Amino acid sequence: MWDLVANLGFGLSVALTPTNLALCFIGCLLGTLIGVLPGIGPIATIAILLPVTFGLTPVSALIMLSGIYYGAQYGGSTASILLQIPGESSAVVTALDGHQMARQGRAGIALGIAALGSFFAGTVATLVIAALGAPLTALALVFGPAEYFSLMVMGLAFAVVLARGSILKAITMILVGILLSTIGPDITTGQGRMTFGFDWLSDGLEVAILGMGLFGIAEVFRNLEHNEARQVAHGAIGRLLPGVPELKQSAKPVLRGTVIGAMLGILPGNGAVLGPYASYALEKKIADDPRRFGHGAIEGVAGPESANNAGAQTSFIPLLTLGIPPNAVMALMVGAMTIHGIVPGPQVMTKVPDLFWGLIASMWIGNLMLLVINLPLIGIWVKLLKVPYRLLFVGIVIFCCIGVYSLNRQPVDILVLTFLAVVGYALSKFDFEPAPLTLGFVLGRMMEENLRQALIISRGSLWTFVERPISAVLLALGVALLVVAILPAIRRSREEAFQE
Amino acid sequence: MPSVRAPRSLISGLALIALAAFALWAVSDLSQGTMRAMGPAMLPRVVAVAIGVCGLIFVGLGFLQKGEPLPAWELRGPLIVGLGMVVFALTIRSLGFAVAAPLAMLIIGRGTTEAQPRELAIFAAAMTAFCLGLFRYLLDQPIPVLIVPGTDIAF
Repeated sequence: MWDLVANLGFGLSVALTPTNLALCFIGCLLGTLIGVLPGIGPIATIAILLPVTFGLTPVSALIMLSGIYYGAQYGGSTASILLQIPGESSAVVTALDGHQMARQGRAGIALGIAALGSFFAGTVATLVIAALGAPLTALALVFGPAEYFSLMVMGLAFAVVLARGSILKAITMILVGILLSTIGPDITTGQGRMTFGFDWLSDGLEVAILGMGLFGIAEVFRNLEHNEARQVAHGAIGRLLPGVPELKQSAKPVLRGTVIGAMLGILPGNGAVLGPYASYALEKKIADDPRRFGHGAIEGVAGPESANNAGAQTSFIPLLTLGIPPNAVMALMVGAMTIHGIVPGPQVMTKVPDLFWGLIASMWIGNLMLLVINLPLIGIWVKLLKVPYRLLFVGIVIFCCIGVYSLNRQPVDILVLTFLAVVGYALSKFDFEPAPLTLGFVLGRMMEENLRQALIISRGSLWTFVERPISAVLLALGVALLVVAILPAIRRSREEAFQE
Repeated sequence: MPSVRAPRSLISGLALIALAAFALWAVSDLSQGTMRAMGPAMLPRVVAVAIGVCGLIFVGLGFLQKGEPLPAWELRGPLIVGLGMVVFALTIRSLGFAVAAPLAMLIIGRGTTEAQPRELAIFAAAMTAFCLGLFRYLLDQPIPVLIVPGTDIAF
């Protein structure tokens, strides 16, 4: 217990230096700024803003990035409440009742309760991360390559089950991601694989370029298809702070949402995405009058938003302790860490404790900032929503171009970016999701490395993955998940859950 | 000859098979190694085969399952924005950011039918100044600002 307090104190001392505080602030602002733009979710926001952190020290860069992440989440809920255009799947639920509240002139209260709920969830999640950090890191240290490999297989199985749409498509996308990850030097022999003698491919593809292409610019292509028909919620934003009756009504949904979101977020698959859905379903089920849902029920905003934020934050746990990104956002975080020379994993906590604890402390500070700074700024975000897209997209594209260029100072990277954007556009045309691809891409490299090491240790016997108990359990869980997902009955209810 | 019932599946499947074949060809001269010591080609080859199998399933589904027709493509956006990005890539090193960025933005902005030339020009100029300030001076990224070919002007 005292360790926890001392560690958090140490983290606060790192996060509260004027530079880091300022960067956390700027990150939150920038994240909201981009995240509030319609159709741009946290993944695209992080990809677009990644280059802004290049010149910083690793600790500051990560603090700023996590600020960007929360800002993007917050901006996303603002966009769903005011415009009913959710930036990503987890904000869909907020749009249901949030937008109805906005139409009734209660936009301010919806935004206020979303921010308050998120702050509470963020505070709890920060404590959860701090408490679980040390034991999970210790667990990770007994993991050998075989266990790591199996854990990643299980994570990918989760990601497949939780992906929207067809399971076969999700599996295909993960495989394509793994294939792309093998471009570049072989880990042991250093031979170039699929580089075709090109210099710019000799180190493989950069995950930042992949993210910006598949999410940032491909999204622009998609948005350019239809002319503007956006409508900011009519009428005034209304009162910002919820009153006592609203707070009373929301308190329990926030609590429940936080617990659900935090638990699902820890899963090594993309569990966080389920949080808002689960919370919404629960609130609707236990409500006295479920018919209010969909017509501006405040519980339908408070619960899912808390679940969303709690999950968004606890999904850092697999990344920080095991080094395994559970979803595409965290996969980009891996890319960011690698760019700054940090290999995510259990060693982060022992080798760079200032980064580990500073980051955790700054999560809480970031949440606080969003509450204190962003709520009064809501007027600015609303104005921003009125900037015509015909100009916005030009800014987004040029930003990505500069960002990609400053990665390696290679103009050819911009051509790669263009190509990936076209690929991303084509994928969406054929209903394939880029998120599993990104996850497969980042996990692919780690999986190959661990697979090879495990096979060297076992002298080439694949049985090692089944003979080692932890590894066997993890693999069995992964297989069970896939089997369950393929069973028709469950598949149907899963589709219903996503449709709701 | 069975008729195509889900063209999207069919095309996706064919594209995946093509990708798999390309990958297999690309690693064909690398050694596969053994289970005890995997070579560079082992994983890409296994994954490529798996992608090919997925591709075959999609092709099969294309004939078996009723699906949506081919999507409608709106090529103006991707083509023009892509062209602008290529122009930026070709000019950033030789002419510098102060030329490459506004040039690229003037092209990219035409990616929508709603473009308004005057407004776009002002936005491009302002955005160039903002990005230079942010990336070159605030974040200290080594981006060439202006290069005039044939002279010594480069900073």
